[in-house]
Amino acid sequence: MTMATTSQKVAGAKPAALRLSARRREAIAGYLFVLPDALGLLVFIGLPMILALGISVFEVDGFGNFKFVGLANYARMWSDALFWQSLKVTLVFAVLLVPLLYVAGLGLALLVQRNGRFNTVMRAMFFAPQMVSLVVVALVWQLMTVDKLGLLTRLLYSLGLGSVSLLGNPNFALFTVTGACVWFLMGFYMLIFLGGLQDIPKEYYEAARIDGAGRVQSFWYITLPLLRPTSFFVLLVSAVAAVAGAQAFDLVYVMTRGGPANSTALLITYIYQQAFQYSAFGYAAALATLLVIVLMAVTVVFFFLTRGGRFQYE
Amino acid sequence: MTSDNNTPRGWSRRSVLKGATALGAAGVAGLPMIGKAFAQDNALSFWQFYAPGGDVKTQVDWFTTMVDAWNAANDTKVNLEYVVGSDYISGSKLATSFASGQGPDIFIISPGDFLRYYNGGVLADLTPHIEAAAQQDFPQSVIANRMVDGKIYGVPMEVEPMAFYYSVKAFEDAGLNENDVPKTWDELLELGNKLTTGERYGLMFETGPGYYQNFTWYPFMWQGGGEFQTAEGKSGFDSPAVVQALKLWQDAINSGAAPRQILGGGGGDIVANLGSGYCAMQNVGIWGISAMENNAPDVPYGIFKLPVPNGGKYVTVGGGWAFVANAKGKNPEAASRFIAWALASMAPDSIQRVVDWCTVAKSDMPPRDSALKQGGEAFNKGKMAVFSKDIHPGTRAEPRVPPEVYKIISDAIQATQLGGADPQATATAASQQLDAFLASYSGAPIL
Repeated sequence: MTMATTSQKVAGAKPAALRLSARRREAIAGYLFVLPDALGLLVFIGLPMILALGISVFEVDGFGNFKFVGLANYARMWSDALFWQSLKVTLVFAVLLVPLLYVAGLGLALLVQRNGRFNTVMRAMFFAPQMVSLVVVALVWQLMTVDKLGLLTRLLYSLGLGSVSLLGNPNFALFTVTGACVWFLMGFYMLIFLGGLQDIPKEYYEAARIDGAGRVQSFWYITLPLLRPTSFFVLLVSAVAAVAGAQAFDLVYVMTRGGPANSTALLITYIYQQAFQYSAFGYAAALATLLVIVLMAVTVVFFFLTRGGRFQYE
Repeated sequence: MTSDNNTPRGWSRRSVLKGATALGAAGVAGLPMIGKAFAQDNALSFWQFYAPGGDVKTQVDWFTTMVDAWNAANDTKVNLEYVVGSDYISGSKLATSFASGQGPDIFIISPGDFLRYYNGGVLADLTPHIEAAAQQDFPQSVIANRMVDGKIYGVPMEVEPMAFYYSVKAFEDAGLNENDVPKTWDELLELGNKLTTGERYGLMFETGPGYYQNFTWYPFMWQGGGEFQTAEGKSGFDSPAVVQALKLWQDAINSGAAPRQILGGGGGDIVANLGSGYCAMQNVGIWGISAMENNAPDVPYGIFKLPVPNGGKYVTVGGGWAFVANAKGKNPEAASRFIAWALASMAPDSIQRVVDWCTVAKSDMPPRDSALKQGGEAFNKGKMAVFSKDIHPGTRAEPRVPPEVYKIISDAIQATQLGGADPQATATAASQQLDAFLASYSGAPIL
């Protein structure tokens, strides 16, 4: 009897851990799932951002010497011609890259959206550059554009455009780097657009066809409007990538080192130079802080234009 | 009902979570141990881009033999740590290691980087460890840019003068021979144009921005009597000599004789450019001899000293790397002793080590008079003889400049050479920037 009571008590004690309501347990599980990512963001993104903000008000030479300078690093930007040059290069790069990526990604997605063996192979081919290291991509493009001997250089020559130096001429170098960046990224955005296209119900196209709409009208009045959430994502991510120089940094570093004559020195390249080549870590941190502000501004503008990223199909 | 469909048989969700938690805890607990293990290693780290991972066996052997000899006779050991050349020279590895207080105990730097490290307070004074006779053994033209206030902060391992290399085949195809090498800038441009074909450039200067491009441009500035800084510490950049040097490189590009883009590892890569037939004449340093011997032994080439401008005087620039010790390292005293023992002792093996580096491991001129004497014939045979007799006597040390000065000069070269900017206007603007910087500069003297 005693044993039975004890055993009942023990048995009764066990479910005590289950007294949490289902809703609460679900919430805890949710937080646990988010925890690793949140910790990662905090440690690897949040903390460095706070530290960078702190460093930006110091003169830091990278050898353990600190000197508080207040906002001097920010003030220095106004009179730094190379900073303005790099900002200009970054904006031109973004203005070139974002629409080109949008058109290339959407164009490829439309080309290979139908299922079939051929299109599967083509999708894999268009995505293939993503599988290659950016350094290798940069080296391949460097070889293709080398003066006199490069594949693209020879092609332009054969078209009667003369001997063009695609990476050695400041007038062309940024366009060439942008081309390499588009080539590398377009497969990724193609996949995003493919996902968006597959979400559009086929019935809409059938109804439009019955009503006499052509392909262009279907694209203009069905595809594009219903791709708005995908377009928003693509434009936002590519704009942020362009301004932050996410992929472009590697390409510029290998292909041009910011040259010729600073024509491909993006803001991210300039920040890198200041920190790691000139040991001006404080100034580099101030530039990086400004870059974050620019990125936030870009994001806010996008959210404003799209009413907070919510899309209604009226 | 209770089985986890996505987990292997016998594994419950709870057991997987427990296992993951245990692994995570073990990992976190182990981190301090790893740090401790590193901290307990008292061996001196020696960072460079030659050994043990380098791909030139003679250079790997030279470094490992040297360190083995030291380690056999000393309690404080030295560990060679290889860093890939491009990462070491223009990457972030060295900078981040110092920024995090984990800089190497011993490392190598070029004159272009000397002031950055000296002004940062991380270079140890090596003078007390170098005997007086050995200090005198380094010519002032070699050691001066590694000294501050009479103290030695770096011991050079080599002197690398710049010259021109030419393709014998390209010359022969054009009906030329070694007697036709250019002696003036005008002849250089003329010959560059003559040797240019549909698939080959006649002449090549470095085009990539960086310390190396500045280094290769300095002698052209000096030849006309130009300086970027006057004896009074003001800018000397706005001068006819600077303008004509900027114009020479611009003319080479504009005439179509020189490429805007270079193959391989850049202007210092002779195999990828002259060796491949991409150019007929290339501005390269003495290291080109061993590079051609090792990688393009079947390509016949010749060497000639830098041509001079009308009314100018011959001078070339001598680069080269130096051993330095980290003043904030684990044991700066031992690191300094190692450097003095390795390259700056009057002991025969120390002198022979310099000879071996310059003749066996590489093709360089020695930074010590005794090594030049001890090396004897090795410096006076074949292509090396052209350098030792003809080119090296006009060598001037590579200037040491802070990064800000380097950048101003680099931008001026790039703007004129590739950007098409007016050389006079560019020199004037750069000079104003230099004056503004020099007025506020407070580090060690710029030389």
